[in-house]
Order: sequence, then C-alpha cells, then structure tokens
Amino acid sequence: MAAPARKTDIGPPHYEKFLHPIIKENYGKWKYHEVIKPGVLVHVAETGAKIFTVRAASPRLLSSTTILLICDLADKYSGGYLRFTSRNNIEFILDNEANIDPLINELKQNNIPVGGTKNSISNIVHTQGWIHCHSSATDASGLVKVIMDDCFEYFENMTLPHKVKIAVACCLNMCGAVHCSDIAILGLHRRPPKIDHANLKNMCEIPSTVASCPTAAIRPTYVDGKPSVKIDEDRCMFCGNCFSVCPAMPIADPLNDGVSIWVGGKVSNARTQPTFTKLAIPYIPNNPPRWTEVTEAVKKIVTIYAQDAEKYERVGEWIERIGWPRFFDLTGFEFTKYHIDDFKYAGLTYRRTTQMKY
Amino acid sequence: MAVSTEELADSMYALVAEYAGKKKLKASDIVKEMIDKYGDEVDKNQGKEAIRLLMDSERCVYTYFGGTYIELPHKEGSAPE
Amino acid sequence: MSDSKSPILDELEKGPWPSFVTEIKKAAEKSPMAQGLLEQLELSYKEKKTHWKHGGIVGVKGYGGGIIGRYSDASDKFPDVAHFHTVRVNQPSGWFYTADALRELMGIWEKHGSCLTNFHGSTGDTVFLGTKTSELEAIFTELSEKGWDLGGSGSDVRTPSCCVGPARCEFACYDTLALTYDLTMSYQDELHRPFFPYKWKFKMAGCPNDCVASIARSDFSIIGTWKDDIRMDSEAVKEYAADADFNIQKFVVNKCPSKCMSWDGEKLEIDNRNCVKCMHCINVMPKALRVGKEKGAAILIGAKAPIVEGAQLASVIVPFIDMTPPYQELKDLIAAIWEFWDEHGVARERIGECIQRVGLGSFIEQIGLKPLPQMVLQPRDNPYIFYEEYLEEE
Ligand code: HEM
Ligand code: HEM
Ligand code: HEM
Ligand code: HEM
Ligand code: SF4
Ligand code: SF4
Ligand code: SF4
Ligand code: SF4
Repeated sequence: MAAPARKTDIGPPHYEKFLHPIIKENYGKWKYHEVIKPGVLVHVAETGAKIFTVRAASPRLLSSTTILLICDLADKYSGGYLRFTSRNNIEFILDNEANIDPLINELKQNNIPVGGTKNSISNIVHTQGWIHCHSSATDASGLVKVIMDDCFEYFENMTLPHKVKIAVACCLNMCGAVHCSDIAILGLHRRPPKIDHANLKNMCEIPSTVASCPTAAIRPTYVDGKPSVKIDEDRCMFCGNCFSVCPAMPIADPLNDGVSIWVGGKVSNARTQPTFTKLAIPYIPNNPPRWTEVTEAVKKIVTIYAQDAEKYERVGEWIERIGWPRFFDLTGFEFTKYHIDDFKYAGLTYRRTTQMKY
Repeated sequence: MAVSTEELADSMYALVAEYAGKKKLKASDIVKEMIDKYGDEVDKNQGKEAIRLLMDSERCVYTYFGGTYIELPHKEGSAPE
Repeated sequence: MSDSKSPILDELEKGPWPSFVTEIKKAAEKSPMAQGLLEQLELSYKEKKTHWKHGGIVGVKGYGGGIIGRYSDASDKFPDVAHFHTVRVNQPSGWFYTADALRELMGIWEKHGSCLTNFHGSTGDTVFLGTKTSELEAIFTELSEKGWDLGGSGSDVRTPSCCVGPARCEFACYDTLALTYDLTMSYQDELHRPFFPYKWKFKMAGCPNDCVASIARSDFSIIGTWKDDIRMDSEAVKEYAADADFNIQKFVVNKCPSKCMSWDGEKLEIDNRNCVKCMHCINVMPKALRVGKEKGAAILIGAKAPIVEGAQLASVIVPFIDMTPPYQELKDLIAAIWEFWDEHGVARERIGECIQRVGLGSFIEQIGLKPLPQMVLQPRDNPYIFYEEYLEEE
C-alpha cells in the first residue's frame, strides 16, 4: 500500500504560480494607480497595461462554502485570480474592465459589499475572542460585526478626511497591530485570577506557574496543607499569562470583563511618525450581542472627526492639532485618573510646560 | 572521540526526563547543557540535529506555554498513535 | 424562530456587514464541529465568557510549530468541539491565490475539519480553524503532498509575511514577495523547530506606508525606501493643479513634515536633501510624483508588546541596505543577531526587550554594526556615561 508521501520543510508554494499574467509581465513596473470608484482600483504600468482590482469585504472567519463561492466568482470574472489584503479584504484581480460591474452586482447579491479604499473605514483587523481563545475578555468577531454595521456608510464611501483604521483585540496580549490604529477596541480583564486551591497541585506545575507571571505577583504557598500559589493582588495587571500555564487560575470574569477604547495611533510614516493609540474610554462592560455603548462611542469619534478634521489628517494628527482637552470636550468622554499613565515611563506624558489650550 | 548524534539524543532524553515536572526546558537550554557536558565534542548544529532525532522519534514533544519547551509526551492530546 | 439554537447570535446576522454567524451556520451544514462551535459560542454570548482552554501540547510529528491546540471547557455539552485545534498553513507571498489553489485547500479541509477558516490570521497564515488531534497528521500529509506546508507558532520564526509590493504597487522600493519567499525557504528549520528564547517575526513592507504594520508587529522589520530624489512629472503636476478639488499648497506642501516643498502656483519644488521620505506627497499625487531610483530598505528591530519597559515600535539599526538577491548582507546580519540572542536572551523575552536590557549601543557593537546618528532621534541628554576604558599612568 503506497501511503501518500509525508514531506517536511517544503515551504509554501511559490507565489508566481498565482500571479495574473498581466501582473507577471509588469511586475515592479507599475507607474501609478487610481481609485475609479469606492472599492475599485486601476493600476497602470509603464507600458500602459492596466490591471483592475475589486476590493470586497469579508468577516475573516469564512466557511469553505463561501470560499468556494468566491472561487466561482473569480473563475467567472477574473480568470480565477484573487488575493487577500492585510486587512482581510478579498481582492479580485481583473484584466477586463467590463467585468467590474457584473462582479460587483453578483457580490452584492451574495451580501458581500465592495469598498474600503482611500479615505474610508476599511475592514477591521481583529483577533479570535470567544471563537477560539482561552484568554479573551470579550469577543472580537461580534464587535467587528456591530461596529462595521454601524459605520457601514464609511466603508462604501470615501468621504472621510483620511483613512480610519479600526482594530479589535480581545485581551492584553493584543495579537494583531491594534495599538497603532486610529481607533482601537481592547478587551480587558479587571480582576486577578481566582485560584482553585483544591486542584491546583494536580493541574499545574507550581514553578512554571510562578515563573509565568510577568510582574512576579505569584508566590508558592500552602493552603489547607496542600501546595498551591497566592497572588499579590496589588501587582497583578490582569494579563492572564498564569492561566495559559495553569488552568486552575481562571481569569475570565463576566462581571468585570469588558472593553476599553483607544484612539490616535498609526503605523504609516506619512507626515507624522508612527504612534501608539491613547486611552479614550477606560472601561465599558460587555454588552453582547450588539455592544451598543461601544458602537455609539466609535460612531461619535468618527462623526466628530469627519466634521472637524482637515483633509489628510488622520485621527491622531487631528487630535494633536486641536489638543486632548478639546477632544474630551467634543466627545463628552469623561477624563479620569485612569487616563493618566502610572507605569514606568509615565512621567514622559506629564505636561511640563505652561503651553496649554483651554 | 566525538559523540554520536544518537548518543546525544539519548543524553538529551535523560535530561528532559530528569527535569520533568520540575523545570521546562527550551531547545537551546538542552543544547547548552549538552555543550557543558561534552565540551568541544559537540556543537550547536549537532545539538540541533540531535533534537530533531529526538522529536522525530516521538520520545519527546514540543509544548507551548507562552514560549516553546521540550517535554515528555503528555497524556492528553499527545502526538497521535 | 423559537427553535433556533442560537437566538442571541442570530441578532448578528442582521445588518449590512457580512456576518461571521452566517459563516458558522454555513459551515455547520457540512460539519458537526461548526455546529458545536455555534452552540458553544451562543453560551459564551449568554454568559459573557470564553469556553476555551489552553492546549499547548499538540502538533504534527517533528514540528514544534503550526498547530494551536485548543480544548473546550464544556466538552460534556459540546462534544464536537472537545478538540478544536487551529492549523496554520503557510500562505503564499502577498496572499495571492488562484481559485484552483483555494479549492484544493478547501478539499482537504472539508474532509478533515470544521469547514471554518480565517483568511488570514494576524501573523499572515492561512488559518484552518478547528479540528481534532486525530486529524492533524492526515491534514499535514495531504497538504504536503499538494505542495503546502505549515506556518510557525511558538518560539520559532513565525511565518514571514509582506505587502503586495511590486506585484501591484508602484511605491514598492524592493521585491517584498521575493524576499518573503526567500527568507521563508532559507529558514525552514528555524520556522518548524523552535529554538529561540521566544517568537521571531519578519515583516516586509515595500515602502514607508508600511501596509503590513511591520514597524509595530515584527521583531525584524524591513521597510523599503530610497536615497535619491523624488521623481516628478511636471505635466502631471499641472493636471493636479488644474483640478478644482485639489489644493496643492494645502493638501501637499503644508502637510510635508520636513517643510521641504514649495509651490508658487506654477512649479512644485522639493528640497530632496531635507525630505524624510515620508510618502505623503507621493501618496496624494501618485500620477505626478514617484519614489526615487536608488532604492533599498531600512531595517528596524524589536517591536514588542509588553508594557514592562514601555511598549516599543521597532527602531532603526540599518538606515539603508541594498535589496538585490541573494541578500547576503541581510542574512549575515540576521545570523549575527540570532547568535547574540541565543547567547543573551532569556526565556520569553523578545529581541526588543533583550536589546533594551543590554543597551542598543552594546547590541550593535556585538553584532558588528557601526553606531550611526540615524539610529537615534538625538544623542543622549544625560551625562551618566558608562565609559568602558580609561588611561592608566605608565
Ligand atoms: C488600545 C490598546 C492597545 C491595543 C488594542 C493593542 C493591541 C496590540 C496588538 C494587537 C499587538 C500585536 C501585533 C501583532 O504582532 O500582530 C500589539 C503589539 C504591540 N503593542 Fe499594542 N495595543 C494597545 C496599546 C498599546 C500601548 C498603549 C502600547 C505602548 C505604549 C502598545 C505597544 C505595543 C507594542 C510595542 C507592540 C509590539 C508588537 C509585537 O510585539 O509584535 N500597545 N498591540
Ligand atoms: C501593566 C503592566 C504589564 C502588562 C500589561 C504586561 C503585559 C505583558 C504581556 C501582554 C506580555 C506577553 C508578551 C508576549 O507574549 O509577547 C508580557 C510579557 C512579559 N512581561 Fe509584562 N506586562 C506588564 C508588566 C510587566 C512587568 C512589571 C514586568 C517585569 C517586571 C513584566 C515582564 C514581562 C516579561 C519578562 C514578559 C515576557 C517577555 C515576553 O513575553 O515578551 N511585565 N507582559
Ligand atoms: C503571553 C502572551 C500571549 C499569549 C498567551 C498568547 C496566546 C495566543 C493564543 C492562544 C493565540 C491563538 C488564538 C487562537 O487561535 O485561539 C494567539 C494568537 C496570536 N497571537 Fe498571541 N498570545 C500572547 C501574546 C501575543 C503577543 C504579544 C502578540 C503580538 C504582539 C501575539 C500575536 C498573536 C497573533 C498574531 C496571533 C494570531 C491571532 C489571529 O490570527 O487572530 N500574541 N496568541
Ligand atoms: C495612496 C497611497 C497608497 C497606496 C497606493 C497604497 C497601496 C496599498 C495597497 C496596494 C494595499 C494592499 C496591500 C496588501 O494587502 O499587502 C494597501 C493596503 C493597505 N494600506 Fe496602503 N497604500 C497607500 C497609502 C497608505 C497609507 C498612507 C497607509 C497608512 C496610513 C496605508 C495603509 C494601508 C493599510 C492599513 C492597508 C490594508 C488595507 C485593506 O486591506 O483594506 N496605505 N495599500
Ligand atoms: S488577543 Fe488575547 S484573547 Fe485575543 S486571540 Fe490574542 S491571546 Fe487570545
Ligand atoms: S493575571 Fe498576569 S499579572 Fe495577574 S497573577 Fe496572573 S500572570 Fe500575574
Ligand atoms: S507598503 Fe508601500 S509598497 Fe507595500 S503595498 Fe503599501 S504602499 Fe505599496
Ligand atoms: S516624501 Fe514627505 S518629506 Fe518628502 S517631500 Fe514628500 S511630503 Fe515632504
């Protein structure tokens, strides 16, 4: 019986196999591009050759059924050529301009909208949450869905002052550049893990558990004569690392878990340097399935930004210009002691000048 | 006389078994221990080969607890069969 | 309506944005695992709490990366998701596919898993979401037979990823796809067999727009840039000037961070010596302005999350490097850094933290780079210098 050969270390298929012939011919020879309309790009090569791109939305979590549908559409309209973007959008790569509108129509019939180009809100980068992670303080897919539903007009249009990039991470581990987005939603635990002293010794290795804590808050101890651990609660910053190593230290807590909202980060080097997001709202309780308080806050930030920012100003650049006091004024978000950094380099964020706006 | 890679893998296995339940070892910790033990007779590349041998023979498995470690196979969900 | 097993989640099928709940239901038509996921997720929505347990002990034979173990903590209620492991499949550079290639992948996945996927995971991999331990070897064997391999996870080289680059972007200053493929193939052993103190991420961006967020997300960030003058097509500048909706002074010149542009209503001038290559003017006038011809990349190192030392973006270690294959200079540098990390790194410490602990100055000395003013924003402003040498009287 010839078992199929199990091969290791072969790496991914070579990308050239998947490139459209026009892309292969003009690889590295693109001259300029234009956004023909929301979601549709044309790239023009030095030779005058053109390639069209139709950018479509995706929830990132896709069934094989939908992938196969996308394959059929690609076969029908783009010679089978397609790609995905760094923000999880689907891009069909077309050589025939006449196929653009029929493709868009058929996508729409299948509830797949087209957009996310230029000065829009593109797809939200996000993490796994309750779909697939043990560490999550909130769900990512649900938040993405409700925020995009609410901000949908900005995906289909390009009327904002600049791009607005939104990201959702479901716990402090923050798997996926959330801290550098225009608007970030971050799930937070707010209470140290509860310790199951009766079972800890059986379920966990105590030395590894102690070592897992980044703030050294965990110490070995004995409880009712059994070896266990204790947590110095003042040192715990609710990261959940210990739970990853020791299942007898669950950190999830429906009463206290929730989300925070951060604003003004960016990764591109255009104009201003890349920066982190800053805290706008320290805590909103989880309110599934539609997290209304979160979507309202996000919508508020986007709306005020759309009205107040200059063209080509990202959210952070806009706030920098008007000043943070004005940002809190305009949004009505409360400024609390949690907004003031108290970690290692906190001092760098204190105002050490009398230059101020009121 | 140089140490054979098989011998090195056996020695690594003994080390992992000795630390089981006490301390999680990374691949590089194990190689460093071997270099301490055998001195110039082994180098990092041979260490890596021995680890490969150890893993391919399924005497040890990689585990992930924040970082990656090498341990004896666990009961639940260890490599199939 | 009332017999729905997921009344709360059904709310998330409403609205214009494509629904992940609908996707789970579609997968559930083919796989009981997806149905199990739907039901467990409904419980999470009801209780506002995750029902997954950590599971870092599964993999395929010989590999230390590529599989993320996951177990349900409610397997008595949802036996179909008792195991629900993720398979990270190494994506093609630039996330390009053909329909046939995707069908091939789905063929394998429908046979062995939940029919659910992520296109893509945050690291860049093609993600198969949810399968049982007993299916892992079969999935791997079938993938490898068709020419696919697993990606990284754990303390290894994570699957390298890149922007669309020269395949479809006129701004690309080097071939991001080729470099990604080359590094992925060169470091197969490091990718599959974790040997580092912690994870190592490579990300390739073709220009300072950094569409893959490499500066924030990677230990080793390679960002394309150029050294000579921005190329200008004056005819095209006139077209922009003629466009009533476009204001060159306001949208371009005033927004230039180095204030090195001027516009007199007729002629656009750039003082290229003072340009910091931020991309803004090129982004907004792509028909008129182009990156220079002397192209290469800057290398930044050490982005990291932990808030310990204050989180960091990556910082410059090589201001400009040539990017023509076979990338020997780059690979020598990587080898030197890995050697340093092996010697000085401690468990679960990213290279950025290691450098912070040791000091950037010592780090570059040990990997054989020369200190350059481009590596810092300014020289130090405190006098506590740790001089390593002093003179002794004869
Ligand atoms: C809104 C709050 C924040 C969220 C949601 C967030 C989210 C994230 C995410 C998702 C990543 C991982 C990127 C990846 O590798 O895929 C990340 C990385 C990182 N974050 Fe944040 N972050 C937040 C706040 C901050 C803050 C306040 C800082 C620093 C002041 C920071 C610094 C970093 C750094 C340095 C990384 C390194 C990337 C890496 O290790 O690969 N983050 N963050
Ligand atoms: C608010 C406080 C803190 C937060 C939110 C925080 C967060 C984190 C996170 C999310 C990680 C995982 C990083 C990863 O896996 O890449 C981490 C790792 C770590 N943290 Fe912290 N941390 C904090 C404070 C500290 C402190 C005070 C220390 C030490 C004194 C510390 C030391 C470490 C170490 C050594 C790691 C492992 C290195 C690594 O995993 O990259 N952390 N921290
Ligand atoms: C102790 C710290 C951390 C733990 C325990 C942790 C744990 C995890 C887990 C369990 C997953 C898999 C989620 C799933 O599929 O179920 C994951 C995914 C991931 N993690 Fe982390 N993580 C940590 C820190 C980080 C940090 C600091 C980063 C980046 C800065 C990061 C980046 C990622 C990425 C990119 C993914 C893929 C996520 C996706 O595709 O949605 N992780 N992490
Ligand atoms: C007009 C100038 C620009 C062009 C032609 C351009 C081109 C592109 C291209 C080709 C992609 C797809 C990349 C991929 O998937 O790897 C992309 C995506 C992206 N770019 Fe740019 N870029 C431009 C400016 C910028 C700027 C200034 C930023 C950041 C401020 C930026 C951030 C991004 C992001 C976040 C994505 C992912 C978008 C999505 O998937 O919907 N880009 N851009
Ligand atoms: S951000 Fe936290 S909860 Fe979300 S996938 Fe990453 S580790 Fe899991
Ligand atoms: S949650 Fe994090 S900080 Fe708190 S005890 Fe656990 S490991 Fe330590
Ligand atoms: S990073 Fe630059 S080269 Fe790469 S896709 Fe974005 S704009 Fe183009
Ligand atoms: S690239 Fe940036 S710094 Fe250089 S001229 Fe253009 S706007 Fe100014």
